[in-house]
Amino acid sequence: MRDPVPARPAAPPPGRRSRSRSGRASGRGRLGLYLLVAGTVFVSFFPTVWLFLTSIKSQAQIYAWPVEFWPSPATLENYREIFQVSTELVRYIVNSFVVASGMTFMILAVGGLAAYSLARFDYRGRFAVLTGILAVSMFPPLALLPALFDLFLEIGLLNTYIGLILAHTGLYLPMAVWILSNFYKTIPRELEDAARMDGASFLRIFWSVILPLSRPGLIATGLIVFIMSWNEFPLALVLMTDNAMRTAPVGISLFPGEFSFPWEIISAATILAIVPIMVISAIFQDRIIGGLTAGSSK
Amino acid sequence: MRHPTRHGPIRAMAMLVALATLTFSFAQDATEVVLSIGSRGFGEAAPVLIEKCEQQIGGIDVEWNRISDVPNESRSVYVTNFTARNDDPDVVAVDVIWPGDFAGRGWIAPLDEYFTDEELSEYLPGFLEAAQIDGSTYAIPLYIDGIHLFYRSDLLDKYGFDPPSTWEELIDQANTIVAGEGDPDLNGFVSMWAKIEGLFMNWLSFFQGAGGSFFDANGNVNVDTEAGRQSLETMLDILYEHELAPESILTYRPDDARILFQQGRSVFLMVQDFVLEPLTSEDSPVRDDVGFTRVPYFEGHEDANTTVIGGFLLAVNAYSDAKEASAELIRCMTSQESQVQATLLQGKVPTRPAVYDDPQVQEERPNVAALGDNFLHAFARPSAGAGTAYPQISEIMQTEISAVLLRQKTPEQALQDAERQIEPLLQ
Amino acid sequence: MRQANRTAILFLIPALAVITAILLFPVVQTLALSFGRDTTSMLRDYEFAGLANYRRLLDTPRFVTSVLNTLFFTVVTVPVELILGLGLALVLNRRLPAQGLVRMAVLFPWALPTALNALMWRWMFNADYGLFNAALTGTGIVEPINWLGSIPLAMYSMMFVSIWKTSSFIALLLLAGLQAIPHDIYEAAEMDGVTAWSKLRYITLPLLQPAILVAVLLRTMDAMRAFELPFNLTDGGPLTSTETLSLYAYRAIFQYVDFNLGSAAIIVQFVIIMIIAGAYLITLRRDSYA
Repeated sequence: MRDPVPARPAAPPPGRRSRSRSGRASGRGRLGLYLLVAGTVFVSFFPTVWLFLTSIKSQAQIYAWPVEFWPSPATLENYREIFQVSTELVRYIVNSFVVASGMTFMILAVGGLAAYSLARFDYRGRFAVLTGILAVSMFPPLALLPALFDLFLEIGLLNTYIGLILAHTGLYLPMAVWILSNFYKTIPRELEDAARMDGASFLRIFWSVILPLSRPGLIATGLIVFIMSWNEFPLALVLMTDNAMRTAPVGISLFPGEFSFPWEIISAATILAIVPIMVISAIFQDRIIGGLTAGSSK
Repeated sequence: MRHPTRHGPIRAMAMLVALATLTFSFAQDATEVVLSIGSRGFGEAAPVLIEKCEQQIGGIDVEWNRISDVPNESRSVYVTNFTARNDDPDVVAVDVIWPGDFAGRGWIAPLDEYFTDEELSEYLPGFLEAAQIDGSTYAIPLYIDGIHLFYRSDLLDKYGFDPPSTWEELIDQANTIVAGEGDPDLNGFVSMWAKIEGLFMNWLSFFQGAGGSFFDANGNVNVDTEAGRQSLETMLDILYEHELAPESILTYRPDDARILFQQGRSVFLMVQDFVLEPLTSEDSPVRDDVGFTRVPYFEGHEDANTTVIGGFLLAVNAYSDAKEASAELIRCMTSQESQVQATLLQGKVPTRPAVYDDPQVQEERPNVAALGDNFLHAFARPSAGAGTAYPQISEIMQTEISAVLLRQKTPEQALQDAERQIEPLLQ
Repeated sequence: MRQANRTAILFLIPALAVITAILLFPVVQTLALSFGRDTTSMLRDYEFAGLANYRRLLDTPRFVTSVLNTLFFTVVTVPVELILGLGLALVLNRRLPAQGLVRMAVLFPWALPTALNALMWRWMFNADYGLFNAALTGTGIVEPINWLGSIPLAMYSMMFVSIWKTSSFIALLLLAGLQAIPHDIYEAAEMDGVTAWSKLRYITLPLLQPAILVAVLLRTMDAMRAFELPFNLTDGGPLTSTETLSLYAYRAIFQYVDFNLGSAAIIVQFVIIMIIAGAYLITLRRDSYA
């Protein structure tokens, strides 16, 4: 099942907590590690920090020359202006939330089952299905745009939550299925075989055995598709033309004028729009790492 | 057992009332017209005008579908809508270069049956032309913008210059000022020369200023001419010979150029009139020193039209189910009264010459009124003549001009290549 | 066994239904349009044109350039992102000070919408008033650099933004894969005194292989389809040096309204992706999927 690993003696006595992977890292190694971490944090954070700083500067300061890095003074006028220029930003964020949550739930449910089917069962054409799913997902969303619009127009799914949820689900399902089926493969068969022998149905096995063990995978996948749906633009632009139904990225794209790009408002709006993602990912990051102990107690 | 006749009359009455209400409401049923126009470009004027027009016309219910003001984005939405033959939106705001394209594809409806020639004559002819294809009018002008030459009035005064009317003068003045100021941050000239539609517009200005004309009398493309070469060579000179413009100008969109000028780092700025507001606002370091004039021409071509125009018109979706109501809405929204309102509310530049003379406009929006003079020399891009081939033609021109400015081709080569590629498209 | 297969297929059906509805129709439509002439839908006024569109593409230097640009972009960014992502994942897998902060930092680049991200970098990269040049010229030593206006620097700048953004996506994928590796193996290895490098090479990487495969596959697909990044950062410029296949197809469809040419370009893109993906699956796949 797994790739051959040099045979090892039995697990060490229980109760011995595992330390950091390198165990005996030298002082210099440690410093190097910290530097690396600090560097990574800086590079990763920096542009978003810049965006945030921009959002709390006055317009004059944003475009000042020479470039002024720190806001002086910091001001919330941009945020205030957003709510004047576009009181619907909150509505847009709510819409994004509804669509992204609905889609995540659907993908995990539908994709989770499909991935299990493809990872565990042996039937003809399995690989073909897997490759086929991957193949259709290789088309750029661009190709989907006019055709999907035409279809949704006929069926009447334009400007509905369920419509965009379905569209996003379709868009990211293949990726989710691939990621999830990989996770399932890392779960030892013995557990399922044991449950089978106890007479459990497949659905039951899936629910009670597989799901808990693949939590890190489910959460990671869920987080990934949630963020992808949140940030998705082309389909959301075209399938939700009703103002009240627009999602956050599309709503924000309405801020620029034909020629002008008002960074003062757009930076503030973007910060507002990514706050929910940050909150959710902060919550779930713990779960992903928290899966550490769950994974090792086999 | 109930006696039927006792309730009979009551039931009959009820049915009659119901029927009456039904027919009444049917008769009262307002036609829904969906208007698609940008929320930044027309956001303040739109709700006011919509309400006014609903009342004036009566029996229509206008829904405002906010769309992006960025032409690329709204265009992709329109393309998707029209190819799917969606009957919504009914009234669409189209960029000045789209009517030729959209009409050629049968996406927007001809409006000749709704507007008389006399009514049409009240709009800026240079602008309306862009919407007249094969003798029919396909859209009505709503608001306009044009490319003008902005300058630092303080610097020009300091060196005793009048605003330049020819390119030769401009280059002279810029050279003198930059040399005199000795400020490494100060550029002589800045504009939007990235490979965008605006580059084509810019070049057309130079080209017409040298006496050029994109199509000749027979409708063939005519850019490989003396005027074509002169225009490109002047642009090259500004960049490399006199080093008046920063090399990064080749990545500039209109707002980038505006920012540089606003930071006080350029003497001249050639860009659309949207810059007036931010440049003269409280926050602007140059707020008291901004002047504007018509884009220069080359010596010997005083009558050349050098103000390239952009702007928006209102058109009717060919698949709409409410064409007549849509036309009425358009008539109302582009009327004299409405345009005055739009100008006063949002500083939109009107498409009716009469509005520039309106006393209220002159008082409250003097900048807009002053722009009127420049629009006497307005010209539209060759979009009406090019029809559905315009996007490709523009793309070809942008690429060739960029190649010249990046010094990958000589002007002669580029213009020949351009003609070679454009000719087959015009068949 | 029969019941197992039936359940398996049952589990599969909802997903297949959604995919068929959402993806299959557009894909078939694109294919049909690529063989069509002057049509925008295979359901209305369809006219068959054989390979005409493909021939037109081959005759268009701009198309060929976009293919080469896209391949170049993919071939450079994917390996770099993989290595960085792997490094990040390994680091994140340890106990670190300010662990929460580090984890959040890793997620930030990826959480920003691509379009906005690109616009922000475009602003920072501006040669005259952007942050980077302001900092560089501030030191007085360096001349301002035309990040997005010189060929080929523009392409490298674009690659940088892509790497910055997606290394964290890969890190996230690989991290979850790392979680699944039980500690026992490492502890046993440590008891035998195996070095960190050997642990990486003989334990971690082989066990991580399925996750790596998925990550590389997904990233390759995404890189080949790059659209929002080039569109917002450089719009394919200067000239066509950063124009990707998707950008070319977009222009064909939405600017020229040439659905047939654009669809053909998309099919070509699809075929290339299929070939690359196929190569991965064949050479790197060792685990059982067949």
